[in-house]
Amino acid sequence: MQGQRGVSRFFPYFLIAPALLIVFLVILYPTLFSFWLSLHENRRRDLIYVGLENFQRILANQNFWDGLGRTAIYGVFYIGLVMVFGFLLALLFHRGIKFGGVFLTIVFIPWMLSEIVAGVMWRWMFLPERGVLQNLFGPLLGDYSFLGEGAGAMSVVIAGTVWRGIAFSLLLLLAGLQTVPGDLGEAASIDGANRWQRFWKITWPLMLPTTQVTIVFLTIQAVNAVGMFLSITDGGPGRTTEVVSLQMYKQALQFNNFGFASAVSVLMFFLNAGLALVYINGMRAQNALD
Amino acid sequence: MATNVSQTESLVGHGVETTSRSRSWWSRNGAVVLMVGLCLVLLFPIFYTFITSLQPRGFGNSVQLFREGIYWGHYEQLLSTPRFMRNILNSGITSVGGALLTTVTCALAGYAFSRIKFGGRRGLLLLLLGMIMLPGIVNLIPLYRLSSDLLGSVPNGVTLFGDTSARQFVNYLLVIGVYGAFGIPFGVWVMKSFYDSIPRELEEAAAVDGATPWIALLTVIIPISLPGLVAVFLTNFVFNWNDFLTASMLIRSDELKTATVALLDFQNQLTGNNSELLNAASILIMIPGIVIFLLARNAFFRGFVEGAVKG
Repeated sequence: MQGQRGVSRFFPYFLIAPALLIVFLVILYPTLFSFWLSLHENRRRDLIYVGLENFQRILANQNFWDGLGRTAIYGVFYIGLVMVFGFLLALLFHRGIKFGGVFLTIVFIPWMLSEIVAGVMWRWMFLPERGVLQNLFGPLLGDYSFLGEGAGAMSVVIAGTVWRGIAFSLLLLLAGLQTVPGDLGEAASIDGANRWQRFWKITWPLMLPTTQVTIVFLTIQAVNAVGMFLSITDGGPGRTTEVVSLQMYKQALQFNNFGFASAVSVLMFFLNAGLALVYINGMRAQNALD
Repeated sequence: MATNVSQTESLVGHGVETTSRSRSWWSRNGAVVLMVGLCLVLLFPIFYTFITSLQPRGFGNSVQLFREGIYWGHYEQLLSTPRFMRNILNSGITSVGGALLTTVTCALAGYAFSRIKFGGRRGLLLLLLGMIMLPGIVNLIPLYRLSSDLLGSVPNGVTLFGDTSARQFVNYLLVIGVYGAFGIPFGVWVMKSFYDSIPRELEEAAAVDGATPWIALLTVIIPISLPGLVAVFLTNFVFNWNDFLTASMLIRSDELKTATVALLDFQNQLTGNNSELLNAASILIMIPGIVIFLLARNAFFRGFVEGAVKG
């Protein structure tokens, strides 16, 4: 299907030029620049070539591995909880519920907040001595101070980000459920399959591609989370909530340590690019590109 | 707003009414009760923040709420603080600018990707798809460094208009450009799938009438694509309004700080028991995003579903 008769060959390229130019300047070029930057080190105002030294230092740095471990712990809880809540809600909304539009809208409101606003709110609810949830749950757990303990602080961040993230997985999964043909389920129920069997034998396998895509998106969110960690704990108490993405942000912004931060960002780039490939393969399988 | 209703209706199934007569009240309404409970839990943080913001300084404690009645002083104080209003204005300028840039560029590029088979089309689409997955933090580190060089090259002390210096003006443009760019990979996909749903006969009719492709696009296609364009603009506006990372890394002048950056600064510098004022600021900052979402929620659902799922 060539375009209309008489259309200049250059017409499509004029159309895409502005978008591609901006994307090249702001996304592609800086990403390539970060590869170059990761091989250099800041000394005074100059960048000096140091080869792979930044990477060697990162891989030998216990803080980095600790941060990666915290990211993993956070990610498992975040992805697990958001998926479970998202899936249950998606099934409920898909089956149909009175006032479904109102409920869906309300579930979405937390996602419409800035991570910083959301973080300020969650920090306030768990603030030592003054926070309402701290005062409610703290005494029950033997005067536990949520933001004063590593596990407690991580729990608050997990709770806050899950609270904000449910809407995201819900909408992806809900849209995916719409592609599951309803008559399959009806046929199965005529054959005597109960609701539980219908879910595992029909809905779940057909939803697997959507589930994978959702998990890929959530993993990227978890690996790159910065905003709510900054606004709820700022990495504390001590370094107990200092995930890798927060380390990178702080190295660059507070310590001007660009070589180091870029090296971390290059490692993160490969992690994200790997995940992106999984996603793109899924989209290709669905023939979304034609 | 007939189209608005249909989008949510199409996402949410209709209540199961067929066999409800014979079942107990709980099995008919249990899900609704559960959802009401869940919604109350989900709204609680916002509700509590609002309650807190209506207490005088030091009284936003769970045991002494409303001892002094409703106190609007924090809002009065914030709305009459020039620095806070400037932060809000900065958020507005950069969010609108970025969303406009995204919308205009995606309106053009999405059309090419939807209608015309050109060399490199598939590869470029894949590239954009990959970029959806590249989060801001990874290219903000190099952007931070590059922007230092860019801003450093603008002579300091040159005033352009009002009290805005040339360097601040470039800083605004920089943030707008980055916001605009971050919205493009997803926006192109949304617009492509929107154009895919418009029948080709429209352009063909215009071509028969002698319209050039540019004229047909601008006078026939763009006007009926308004819902798609509005969806792209509004989702990007809210996304930019809520952004913290980009603004915190790329804005170098205190006067240009956006509301979210200022809010975190405020929390970090908080002295004494002044959480009530902080909570009032949170409420004011969240209002635009929530209001736009509530008014145009179907634009959000539509853009999101079309871009991310249907491709």
